Amino acid sequence: MKRKHPHSRIEPIFAGVRALRVAAALALSAALAACTAGGAPTAVNQATSNTTTANAYTGPAAQTADIQAFQINLWQNIRVANRCGGCHHEGGQSPTFARSDDVNLAYQAALPLVDISNPSQSTLVLRVGSGHNCWVADPNACAQTMLTWINNWLGGGSAAATKITLTPPPVQSVGGSKLFPADSTQFQKLIWQPILTQFCSNCHRPDSATAQAPYFASSDPDQAYLAAQAKINLSVPAQSRFVERLQSESHHCWATTTGGPPDCPGSAAIMQAAITAYANTIPTTQVDPSLVVSKALSLEQGTIAAGGSRFEANIVAKYMFETGTGNTAYDTSGVSPAADLTLYGPVTWAGGWGINVPMGGKAQASTSASQKIAQMIQATGEYSIEVWAAPADVTQTEAYILSYSGSDKTRDMTLAQHMQQYEGMTRSTVTDSNGSPPLLTAAANMNAQAALQHIVLTYDPINGQKLYVNGVFTGDVDASKGAALSNWDSTFALVLGSEVTGKEQWTGLIKFAAIHSRALTPAQIQQNFAAGVGQSYYLLFDVSSLSGIAQTYILMQASQYDTYSYLFNKPTFFSLDPKAAPSNLVIKGMRIGMNGSVPTVGQSYATLSATVGPPGYSAANGQLLSGVGAVVGVDAGMASDMFFISFDQFGSHQHVFVEPTYTLQPPVPSTTPQPDLGVATYERLYHTMSSITGVPFTNPTIAALYNTEQQSMPAGPLLNAFVSSEQTALSQLAQAYCAQLVGTQSYRDAFFKTTALDSPISSNAMASAFFGTTSSPNSANITLAVTPLVSATVGTANPQTATAMTTELSHLLPLIPTLPGEASTTVSRAVQAACTAALGSGAITLQ
Amino acid sequence: MVTNSTRIQNGKTRAARVSRAARGACALAVLAQLAAPALAGPNEQAQRIYERIAGVPPTPAVLAQMAQAISSGSGQSGLQAAAAIATNAPSFYNITLKNLVIPWTNRDGTVFAPLNDYAATVIGMVRDNVPFNTALSADILYTVNASGLPAPSVSNNDHYAAAETNGVDLSSALKATTQSVVYGIPAAATAGLLTTRGAASAFFINGTNRAMFRFTMINHLCSDMPTFMDTTRPTDRIRQDVARSPGGDSRTFLNNCVACHSGMDPMAQAFAYYNFDATVGTQGALVYTPGKVQPKYLINAQNFAQGFVTPDDSWSNRWRAGPNSVLGWDTSLPGSGTGAKSLGQEIESTDAFAQCQVTKVFQAVCFRAATSAADIATVASIKTSFKAGGYKLKQVFQQAAAACPGT
Repeated sequence: MKRKHPHSRIEPIFAGVRALRVAAALALSAALAACTAGGAPTAVNQATSNTTTANAYTGPAAQTADIQAFQINLWQNIRVANRCGGCHHEGGQSPTFARSDDVNLAYQAALPLVDISNPSQSTLVLRVGSGHNCWVADPNACAQTMLTWINNWLGGGSAAATKITLTPPPVQSVGGSKLFPADSTQFQKLIWQPILTQFCSNCHRPDSATAQAPYFASSDPDQAYLAAQAKINLSVPAQSRFVERLQSESHHCWATTTGGPPDCPGSAAIMQAAITAYANTIPTTQVDPSLVVSKALSLEQGTIAAGGSRFEANIVAKYMFETGTGNTAYDTSGVSPAADLTLYGPVTWAGGWGINVPMGGKAQASTSASQKIAQMIQATGEYSIEVWAAPADVTQTEAYILSYSGSDKTRDMTLAQHMQQYEGMTRSTVTDSNGSPPLLTAAANMNAQAALQHIVLTYDPINGQKLYVNGVFTGDVDASKGAALSNWDSTFALVLGSEVTGKEQWTGLIKFAAIHSRALTPAQIQQNFAAGVGQSYYLLFDVSSLSGIAQTYILMQASQYDTYSYLFNKPTFFSLDPKAAPSNLVIKGMRIGMNGSVPTVGQSYATLSATVGPPGYSAANGQLLSGVGAVVGVDAGMASDMFFISFDQFGSHQHVFVEPTYTLQPPVPSTTPQPDLGVATYERLYHTMSSITGVPFTNPTIAALYNTEQQSMPAGPLLNAFVSSEQTALSQLAQAYCAQLVGTQSYRDAFFKTTALDSPISSNAMASAFFGTTSSPNSANITLAVTPLVSATVGTANPQTATAMTTELSHLLPLIPTLPGEASTTVSRAVQAACTAALGSGAITLQ
Repeated sequence: MVTNSTRIQNGKTRAARVSRAARGACALAVLAQLAAPALAGPNEQAQRIYERIAGVPPTPAVLAQMAQAISSGSGQSGLQAAAAIATNAPSFYNITLKNLVIPWTNRDGTVFAPLNDYAATVIGMVRDNVPFNTALSADILYTVNASGLPAPSVSNNDHYAAAETNGVDLSSALKATTQSVVYGIPAAATAGLLTTRGAASAFFINGTNRAMFRFTMINHLCSDMPTFMDTTRPTDRIRQDVARSPGGDSRTFLNNCVACHSGMDPMAQAFAYYNFDATVGTQGALVYTPGKVQPKYLINAQNFAQGFVTPDDSWSNRWRAGPNSVLGWDTSLPGSGTGAKSLGQEIESTDAFAQCQVTKVFQAVCFRAATSAADIATVASIKTSFKAGGYKLKQVFQQAAAACPGT
C-alpha cells in the first residue's frame, strides 16, 4: 500500500456501508469543516527521546522523506524493547514493523497497520488500546500515545480525518423500563407524605410565603406527583435528583435524630430508601406501545467521530484524561519521559473524559518528568499552554489552572483565572522569578465564563504572552513584551488545579491540557479549537420500519457531555442507501428516549417539524432536521444507557403527545392576623405635614431636609417593619415644619387662627410666664396653641383621640419649663415642641 | 449661623430634649387611640379611606362629603362612593400612585427614584380610565403639560424629573400622547410601558434583554422567575450564552437553568431589536433596530455553540402548556408572534396579570397582603369586576379601599 495524501485518497463503497464525506459534504461539525480548508501543511516534527534506550541505528538510511518522518516520529518510539520492539523485531514476531535493522523494511511492514484516513482506527492504535503489550497501566494512554506518534508521522496539521465510515448498527428494539404509574397512591405513601410534606414544604409548595417551583411538596398530592417525577430516577434511585440534592449539595437536609443537627448523608439515605421502595412497587414495563419509536442503540454502538485533526507538531506534554480510574492521568504526548500527573486530594474523574478539581485538589507531575518542559521550551524560546476547562465559578481569584512552578512565588509559567479574567505569568529576562508583571485579560471583556472553554496562553520572544479564548485572541497586549527564557528553572513541577504548594486553588473541570514548545499561531489555535475535545460518536437510529425505506436513519452526533449528561447534536435524516428517495415525509415532535422511557428534561427537538424530501434531502448529505444541540441527563450510565427516538409524527405514524393537565391551586388562607393599620410612608408624611401646617412642601428649608432624610423615613407601610430610626427621621421633618410654622407669622396666624401668639413669640417671652406652671396653668393661652394643633392633626373624625391629645399637650406646655435646663424656654420653642409632638405622633404617622 | 434643622439634628440641644419628652407624652395619646374600641363610624371610615387613597388627611369639607356618602349608601356602595371622592384628590396621583409604580421602573425596586415616563404613563392611564390591559402593548405615553419643563426626550429623563422637583400636579398636568410621536419609535414597535424610556433604561441596558422579561413577570404577574420554573419545556430556543454544563456540572443546567430559560428565552426573543444605548447623550436612549438582532443576543456564543442563534424577533410562549398554563393565557390569542407589542398583549391578557394588578392595589391601600380567606375572596371579586369592567385601575383602588375601611 502506498501512502498518499489523504485528500487524494478514495475509499471504496461497500454494500451496506457508505463512506461519508463528513467535512466536505455533510458538514457534521464545524470542527471537521475547519480542517478541510485546504488542509494544514505538514509540519516538521521534533525528535524526542525514549525512556528505554535503543541501540543506535546503523542500518540503511531512509529512502524517502515519508520514511524519514516515519523513522523520527513513530519507529524510534516503538522499536525499543519495552514497547513493540520487544517482539516485532527483525526475525521476531510478524509483522516486523519495529525491526531495528532496516527502517525501510519496518516502514513497509507498518503501512498496513496504519489507517491513514482515520488514524485513530489504525491497527497499531487499536491493538495497544485493547491492552496488547501496553507499556503503562492504562491501555487508553498507550492508544493515545501511539495515535500521537502516527499523527506526527502523517503530519501534525494534516487533514487526515476527512472521512467517516458509517456502518449499520445492530438492530435492537427499545427495551423495557419502569414508568411512573398514573395513580399516585404509592408515591404519596412512600415519598410525599413521609418526606416531601415534612421537609420540603416550607418552599416547594405554591402557597408558601417563599414559594419555589417545582411544587413537589404541594398540599395537592397530584400536583406534587407531577412535579416530583423529574426528580426521581426509577431505574437508579441513587441518581435521583432528590437524593443528589441532599447527598452532594447539602440542600436543606434535616435532622435524622431528635434534636440532632441536619444530617445530609442520613437524609439522603432516607430519601434513597424511600425512592427505592417506591421503584420496587413499579414493575418493569415494555416501552409504551403507542409511541412511535426508532430502534435503540447505545453510545458505544455508534461510529466514533474521529474529529478534526489537532496541530501537535511541537507537543511537549498532553493530557486527555481518558483513564477514568486510578490516580494517574497519563501524558500521552509520546514525548519521553511521560510527565504523568498524580491526582491528589478530592480530584475525581469526570464522565466523557476529564477531571473534576474541587477545593483541595490538584494533579501534579514529578519534577524529574517535568524537566522536559523547561528543556524543550528553553530550546525554542517559545511555548503554548492549551487547556479545555470549565471554571466552577467566576468568583475565584488568583486560581491557577496550570502552572510550571516551584513555590508560591517562583515559577516558569502559569495560566490562571482571576474572576472573569484569565491571567498569564512567565518568567523571562524582563520579568521577575514569579513571572510578574502578569498579563491579565481586560475585566470588561469577561473572558472567563463558567462554561467549557478552550484557553491558550502563548509566549514568543517578540510579543511575550498572548491569550486566546475559544480560538479568539483576547486583544490584551503583554506590556513586558517578549524576551529570553534563559532564566527558567528546570527543577520545577507541572501542576494543574493549584500551585504546587496547594495554594492558589482553582476549581472546575479540566477536559484536556497540553504544552507545546512553540507559540501556536492563530490558525493553529483555531484548528485545535475546532477539533474539539472528548470522544463523540455518530449514532444511526434506524427508522426504516417507520419510513418504509430500507436503511434510513436519524443520524445524530452524540457524546458524553460531562459526568451527568449526554450531548446530542444535528439530527439528520440519512440513508445508507444512495438510491433512497424519501419524499414528503413529515417528521414532527422528536424526543430522545433512554432505557425505554422518554426523559422530560432537555428535549430540544420536541418542537421539531420537518418534511423530508427534495429539495432539502440529498443522497450525499441527507437532510438536517435541526441545528441545535440537546443535553439530556445520564440515566444508568454510559455503558448501559440505550437510546432511541420517539416521534409525535413520522410519516403516517402518529403518537399524540399529551401534556399533563395542571389546575390552578387556590391559595390557602392564612389565619395569622395582620395589623389593620400601617405607617405613612415618607412622601405621605412630607405632604401630610405640609397639608396640616400650611407650610408649602417646596419651602427651601423643608425641601432640603426632606431630600437628605427621605430615605431614613418609612419606605413601606408595614407596621412591623417600623423602626426607631424612622421615627427619629420623621420627627426631624415634623420639627422642621413646626419651626417654619411657628417662626413665620403668616403661617402661624393662619394656622392658629389668632394673632395673640405673635407678640409673645416675637418678644421672646418666657413660656413659663405665658403658659403658666403645672400647678397654675394659663388655660386660655394653652388653648390658643393646643386647640388648633389637635384640630389640625386629629380632626373631628375621632373625638376620643382628640380629647386624649388635648389633655397631653395641655399638660406638656407648662411642663416644659420645669425640665432640666429649660427654665428660660421661650413661647416659640415651647409651641414648636408641642407642634412637633403632635405632628410626629401616631395621629399622623399611622394611617 | 445655626439653622433650625441643624439644631434639630443635634440630639443634645434643648429643643431636641423637649421634643423627646413631648413625643413621649403624645405616645400615650396614640396608645389611647389604638386601644380605643374598634367601632369605626362613617367619619373614621371616611378618614381611613381618604388617607389610604390620597396619602394625606382630608379637609373637613371632603371628610364630611365622604362621610355623607357612606351614610347615605348601603354597605360597599356607600364606601365605594366615598372612595370615588378620594380618588379625585391630586395626591392620589402625585403620591399614592407614583409611589406604587416607581419601584416597577428600576431593578432595585426602590421607591426612591425620580419620576419617569413609565410612572407618568401609568398615572395618566389610571386618571383617564384607559383600559389597563393595554398597558404592555399600546402606543401610549403621558407627558407633563406645565411651564418651565424641558421637552420630553428619548435621550433623557429631565422632563419628568423636573416636573417632580417643581411639584407639578400630575393629576391635572398629564397629557396623553404616543411614544411614536414623542420618541419617534415606529408605532408597531411600541409596547406600552415596556418601551417607555424608563423601562428601557432599567431593563434593556446591558445584559441580554432577559431582564425586561423577568421584571415584567415580577411587576405585572407578581412573581419572580423561581415560581415559574418548569424543566419540562423544550430546550431548543435556549440561547448559546447559557452554559449547559456550568462549571462542568450539567445537573445545574438540567435542574435549574433550563427551568427558566426554556420558557423565558423563546419569549424574550420578542425584544431582539431593542437596546438601551447608554452612550447616547448623557443619559442614554432606547434604540430600536428593525430587522437587525441586537449583538447582546449573540454574546458568549461559545458557552454552548450548539445553542439557539437568534435570527429575528419572533417569540413563542411555551408556558401555555405545563405548570405555567395555570396563569390563564388568553385562548383567543395565538401564543406566538413577532416583536414586543404582541408579547405584551400575551402577558397583559392573562388572568394572572389582572390578579397581579388587583393584588398590588389591595396591598397598597389596605396595607396588608391579601392572605386571609376574606381578603382572598375580596381580591377575587375585585379582579372579576376589573376584567369585566374594562380594566379600570382607578375602580380597583376604590373597591379595595372600600374593602378595608376599618371596622
